[in-house]
Amino acid sequence: MASKPVWEQIGAGFVQHYYQQFDSDRTKLADLYTDASCLTWEGVGFQGHKAIMEKITSLPFQSIQHSITAQDHQPTPDSCVMSMVMGQLKADTDQVMGFQQTFLLKNVDNKWICTNDMFRLALHNFGA
Amino acid sequence: MGEKPIWEQIGSSFVQHYYQLFDTDRTQLGAIYIDASCLTWEGQQFQGKAAIVEKLSTLPFLKIAHSITAQDHQPTPDSCIMSMVVGQLKADEDPVMGFHQSFILKNINDAWRNYTGFQMSITETYRHIGYMPPTELRCVPLLRARRTISLVPYASVS
Repeated sequence: MASKPVWEQIGAGFVQHYYQQFDSDRTKLADLYTDASCLTWEGVGFQGHKAIMEKITSLPFQSIQHSITAQDHQPTPDSCVMSMVMGQLKADTDQVMGFQQTFLLKNVDNKWICTNDMFRLALHNFGA
Repeated sequence: MGEKPIWEQIGSSFVQHYYQLFDTDRTQLGAIYIDASCLTWEGQQFQGKAAIVEKLSTLPFLKIAHSITAQDHQPTPDSCIMSMVVGQLKADEDPVMGFHQSFILKNINDAWRNYTGFQMSITETYRHIGYMPPTELRCVPLLRARRTISLVPYASVS
C-alpha cells in the first residue's frame, strides 16, 4: 500500500495536534507560533507570538470542540505545507457552527511551525 | 486614512480577477498557473498548468456565479501571499452553496507590477460546504460535492 505523500503526513499530523490542543488546553498552542507568525481571526489580524497567544487564550468560551469534516494538504513552492480544514465546532452551549481554517507550516530547526493561520466561521448572508 | 498593506492590495486584486474570469470564461484561468502549481479540488489533486486548466474547463456546469462573503490575506515568510476566501456560489439552476478556497500567490519575474499578467504560481485548495444542520448534531459530516454539485442548499446559521 502506497504511503501518503510527506506533506499530507505533516499536514494531517499538525492538524490533529492543533485541534487536540485547542480543545483541551489552548495555551499549549504557544509552541506552534513564532514572532514571524500571523493570525487572522474572523477578519482581525494578529502579528507575532505574543499577540497571537493573547488572542487565542482570551477567546470568550470555556469549552470548545472541533470536528473536522475535511482537510487538504499541499506542498508549496518554498517547501512549506499549506493545509486547509473545514469542519464544525461547538463552543460552550452554543449551537454547532461550521468553520474554515487555513494554515501555512514551515520547517524551522527541524520543527514544523505555523507561520500563517486564518480562521473564519462559515456564516453567509443567504442569497443567490 | 491608512493605505491597505501591499499584500492585501495584491490579494484582493487577484481574488477579484480570479472570480471574474472564473464566472465569465474559466478557460482563461490558465494564465495564472504554471507547471509548479497545484490544485486540490474537492479532495482531488491536480499538478501543473495543463492538468489544472483541464479540470477547471471540464467542470460540469454551464454558468456559475461566485459571491464573496469574506476574504483574508497575509504575507508569508517566503514573500508569498496567502489568501482565504469564503463565499457562496450558484451553478446553473442548482441551489446556492457555500464554498471555501485558499490560494498561495508567488511573485515570479516581478509580476507584481503587472497585475494584468498575473504570472503567479498558485497552490490552491477548494471545497464546497454542504448543508449545515440547524440542530445540535455532533460530528455530522458535511456533504461534499464530488462529480456533481447538486447539494442541499446552505442554511444560514444565526
